[in-house]
Amino acid sequence: MKDNNLFSNYEKLASTWDEMYNDNAEFRSQYDGFIKYLENTSPEKLSKKEDLAKQLFMSQGVTFTVYNDNEGIEKIFPFDIVPRVITAAEWQKIEAGIKQRLKALNLFIKDIYNEQFIIKDGIIPGELIYSCPNFLREMKGVKVPYDVYVHISGVDLIRNNDGEFYVLEDNLRTPSGVSYMLENREISKRLFPGILPKNNVRSVSDYPNLLYKKLKELSNLSKPNIVLLTPGIYNSAYYEHTTLARLMGIELVEGSDLVVKNHFVYMKTTNGLKQVDIIYRRVDDDYLDPLEFNEKSVLGVAGIMAAYRKGNVNIVNAPGTGIADDKAIYIYVPDMIKYYLDEEPLLKNIETYQLGRPDELEYVTKNIKDMVIKKTDGSGGYGMLMGHEATDEEIKDYLNTVSKKPENFIAQPILRLSTAPCYIDGKLSPRCIDLRPFALSGRDGIDICPGGLTRVALKKGSLVVNSSQGGGSKDTWILE
Amino acid sequence: MLSRVANNLIWLDRYMERGSGILSLLKVNYYANQDSPELFSWTPVIKNFTAFDNEYYTEDALECIDFMVFNTNNSNSILNIVTKARENARSVQEHISRELWLCVNNYYLYLTDKNLRKRLKEEDPVQFLEDLRKHHLIYNGTTDITQERGTSYYFMNVGKFLERVNLIADFTSLKLQEIGKTSDSLEKSFYWKNLLLSIGGYQFYLKTHKSTFNQDHVITMVFQDKLFPRSVYYCVNKLSRHITRLIETNELEKKNLEFLIGKLESSIKYTTIENINEQGLNNFIHSIKEDISNISTNINAVYNSNN
Repeated sequence: MKDNNLFSNYEKLASTWDEMYNDNAEFRSQYDGFIKYLENTSPEKLSKKEDLAKQLFMSQGVTFTVYNDNEGIEKIFPFDIVPRVITAAEWQKIEAGIKQRLKALNLFIKDIYNEQFIIKDGIIPGELIYSCPNFLREMKGVKVPYDVYVHISGVDLIRNNDGEFYVLEDNLRTPSGVSYMLENREISKRLFPGILPKNNVRSVSDYPNLLYKKLKELSNLSKPNIVLLTPGIYNSAYYEHTTLARLMGIELVEGSDLVVKNHFVYMKTTNGLKQVDIIYRRVDDDYLDPLEFNEKSVLGVAGIMAAYRKGNVNIVNAPGTGIADDKAIYIYVPDMIKYYLDEEPLLKNIETYQLGRPDELEYVTKNIKDMVIKKTDGSGGYGMLMGHEATDEEIKDYLNTVSKKPENFIAQPILRLSTAPCYIDGKLSPRCIDLRPFALSGRDGIDICPGGLTRVALKKGSLVVNSSQGGGSKDTWILE
Repeated sequence: MLSRVANNLIWLDRYMERGSGILSLLKVNYYANQDSPELFSWTPVIKNFTAFDNEYYTEDALECIDFMVFNTNNSNSILNIVTKARENARSVQEHISRELWLCVNNYYLYLTDKNLRKRLKEEDPVQFLEDLRKHHLIYNGTTDITQERGTSYYFMNVGKFLERVNLIADFTSLKLQEIGKTSDSLEKSFYWKNLLLSIGGYQFYLKTHKSTFNQDHVITMVFQDKLFPRSVYYCVNKLSRHITRLIETNELEKKNLEFLIGKLESSIKYTTIENINEQGLNNFIHSIKEDISNISTNINAVYNSNN
């Protein structure tokens, strides 16, 4: 190392896997290329790059608006300039594992909305399915093109201290973040000239083309009318919606731009109504159709579900996929893989306790300081209890809530999320990270873009990577 | 094209054009006001370019510019106008060139930079206004060079020229109010010169008529000139051209629209200055504004028709 104290003060967390250092405090080889660059770059220069990154996000409009007293403030999703590096071998494993998992989950959704063999064979209890708020009776018996329910998914992975990747959750509804995968890379290209090709980093820029191809394949038409349905400019992922529409060259529509007539969906154009064939929707199931779900929703389109059931329009992802990424169902995914594919799961699940079972509730209560408790229908890191941080009072209150409906809660041991180096206050410091690769399923199988969104808990010692709670992101490099 | 998108595109250009017009007016009035504050006060500027219920007035030049540029309660402040332009641009990104979106976004970031307001107070106010106007020039240049000629471009131009005609009409009315208050012909000539400056036609006037101020020449140039890009006739002509393209591609309905725009175009073209003076410039302006408003309503009807 040169006279560069970037690496001093790197305090590895105890019993935690670090992405850059191995247990002997040596650099892992996949970081060699970037470390060489860092060693020859002064902290002043790195700080300048950090500022440049912020400016680029702003000037490219990669922002979301926070409304306060009628005044909109543009915010950027915090970005750490040091990339997270994944080896080809690691990626191969991740890729195979996610493909296997999605194959099983898709079969599960098809089964659940049709014959329900998995319930009949006693693998998953029926009451668990029926009591799940994400189970859509409206989808029973609906035939979907090529039997694909989950076209776009963003499975969240974490690396535990054994070095293995575990699935934290399967995001099978309207996962977001892919625009940050793309944008983070564009920023890296500008921050570190020449470094990406030198490191043989795989490109992610084909994602929009791949997504378009997958969407188009769903129709027999040579030129299907594909649109992206957004909840509108107030949605925090609006930037992503505009970007994907622009990069695919498709129309970005809001619910009020669409209308259903005689069970066909049309968009309102200056020369009349034009039929819509495929809708990549970024509106949740609940808001999709005020006639069938939340009647107060103005984000969706009245009658769209009826048009869908008649096969006159395709909705992507299919409604009702939430049944498969529910936290209570998660426990059964390894069983699903065995049941539908007769295979051993390649990616592990995190040990999960169902608090509806008295013995498991008792175990969790006893070990609560080492547990994180989550609501089965929660997301975004809300409504969680982190046992090691909570006060006795908070634990008491939380358990009180749990006791009212224990089957709505699960618990997992507090994980040692792996750490990656982040550039913070002029030095490298380890911060906890996860990984969300984006997989696209279609007529001809599953493709996973070689990259993903690495989310990082920027607060020291924090395990919560959600953007709503102080999380940021990193560029994710998959090496050739 | 989605009706909402057409609407957004029209308003994107309307707002950008309005911002540009207000900035030139502020700059010209600033110069004139420093010469003769009694002739070129700020009150009429504020009155004519804020909402009807505005109660804020000031005769302090910097305070007025600050109000007209930054005040969020002033619906026509440059900040509000650009925010709205940006919101329109943001939701039609797949229809406008990438460069154009970045241009509007950067203008917005420039305006919301917390150090900008201080610059107005501490530095040259004319440069301050010029720097803002430059963003509008870049916007127009970027549109010209990067935007393909097609439906989006036509709708944007419809917005731009509708707004520009309105602004010229409003600027002229503003000066006429002042001219009506004086019988001094020198003072009157100051106002006419000021009008030309506000719409950027002074230099062209000098080239054509030299430094002699003749009211009829000014009116003819502002309303009827065929070559001056900020004359009413020029704008109506462009408006007609873009509306015609949209009718040809079935984006707009021919019905009333073709008639209305044709009538307006010829009524300006074939009117003589004697004729204008006979009916009174105010009435002439009034009838132009009415026609423009009818055209605008008709275009609106198109994107509301299938709601």
